[in-house]
Amino acid sequence: MIRKILCIGVLTIAALPSWGLAADNGVLDFTAGELRRIMQHGPWPQAWSPDPSNRVSGQRAAIDFGEQLFFENRLSGSGKLSCGSCHVPERDWSDGLVRGEGMQTVDRNTPNLVNARYHRWYGWDGAADSLWSQSIRPILNDKELASTPQHVAQLLRKDAELACHYQRTFGKSPATVTDDETLLVDMGKVLAAFQETIVAARTAFDEFRDALARGDRAAAARYSLPAQRGLQIFIGKGNCSTCHTGPRFTNGEFHSTGVSFFTSKDRVDPGRYEGIRQLKESRFNLLGPYNDDPARTTAVATRHVDLVQRNFGEFKVPSLRNAALTGPYMHNGQIGTLREVVRYYSEINPDRLHADGEQLLKPLKLSAQEVDDLIVFVESLTDFRTNWKRSTGGEPSCT
Amino acid sequence: MTKRVLAVLAIALLAVPAYGCVPELSGGGTRTLEAGRYTLAYRASPPEIPLGKHFSLEIAVCANAGAPLPDSVSVDAQMPEHRHGMNYKPSIRREAAGRYRADGLMLHMPGRWDFIFELRAAGRTDRVTQSEVIE
Repeated sequence: MIRKILCIGVLTIAALPSWGLAADNGVLDFTAGELRRIMQHGPWPQAWSPDPSNRVSGQRAAIDFGEQLFFENRLSGSGKLSCGSCHVPERDWSDGLVRGEGMQTVDRNTPNLVNARYHRWYGWDGAADSLWSQSIRPILNDKELASTPQHVAQLLRKDAELACHYQRTFGKSPATVTDDETLLVDMGKVLAAFQETIVAARTAFDEFRDALARGDRAAAARYSLPAQRGLQIFIGKGNCSTCHTGPRFTNGEFHSTGVSFFTSKDRVDPGRYEGIRQLKESRFNLLGPYNDDPARTTAVATRHVDLVQRNFGEFKVPSLRNAALTGPYMHNGQIGTLREVVRYYSEINPDRLHADGEQLLKPLKLSAQEVDDLIVFVESLTDFRTNWKRSTGGEPSCT
Repeated sequence: MTKRVLAVLAIALLAVPAYGCVPELSGGGTRTLEAGRYTLAYRASPPEIPLGKHFSLEIAVCANAGAPLPDSVSVDAQMPEHRHGMNYKPSIRREAAGRYRADGLMLHMPGRWDFIFELRAAGRTDRVTQSEVIE
């Protein structure tokens, strides 16, 4: 067996001082392996470049237009709902509800939008492969905004303020675009440009991780011992970092963790299985005609994703950044608090897992202190400082 | 001194596995495996396989004495301890005689992964497995 160690990890750990630290110094005595795993959860924020599949990604005019559309009730079929109805800035771009409320109650918990620009797949089932195509889905969904391409296109053509923003962003009047679907996709792309700007700031964990990396013992000691002990469980006996990997604390993929996929007594949510099926059928996927990148450089995952039976009942691993602000938890919002989530995994019933499922999940049997420590650690991944709010009040800004 | 150098060289030569043929792939990160009628070499691109990101494999195959070149080559990866494979089905294309490129692989969890190479020719399949630990 060949052991592969990332060069960056080796260099980083080699540069760390041999502190031989004990808890009484304010920093736990992490092993070299633990330090390597801690380093993999940073740095933060991650580097980012504009989305090549979206020609207006990162452009100021598109971001401003996207923010206006994000809170535009007239996009919905009823004229009473917008993206911002469920993705509420003051609620960390979610809604705090068990399940989302659009035109009807939907089957799933509303995911928050923080750091959405870094995702590979969107939605609990990953049925969208770009932020712009994901932005179209709820607008057309009958249970959410219940709109149509025709409705969206007419709004963009007829409203002077929106038409002005469109002209400013795309360099032409929407009245000259005769195809409704093209305008629908353009709307998705400006909504994406706005959502790409929603990024969590650095957290207490990031300060600790970077202090370890540069050998700054005093700075590392500012991170509380309960958080450090929780981190040790997270990367150790808890096996949490097996799925919650990297700087975003998610591998961005899909797993079955025994959470019920029944939405009622006689109806199930197929999760990833249906997500892949919808993705492959979608005209808006990255292999389709609306990808602005002729080379399809970001379409590798879409081209190769494989639909298999075990995808049934799998849901996306959520990022743990800002997790303290995003409850209720799980794809169906069935768990109300972080403490209950930790207890769920601590006492998980293996009988609830797929018979052919993963062998990773086993009851952790955490002590009361370990539960407390793990919660303190997860809370330390949360950006409590950013006060999300609209940058404008929605007043006309173009005409 | 000369005797010592020769001894070291002899030990080094003895430590090199003798393959039935030499695939046309070498350089850092290249692994060479015996696969029944074939010898297979592969190298990841990028050279260090990243956790949770797509990567490719360059593959070279040569036929040991008397064997035909394979009609097809495939690669998959499994995580035996977790009883699952990848979420992606790699595509593989022949670039030249005995040279292939596999795209679309992605190892989404840390731990031990087994690469499984299958080479088919004349109605038979030769299979070889190689473990990698991803951190």
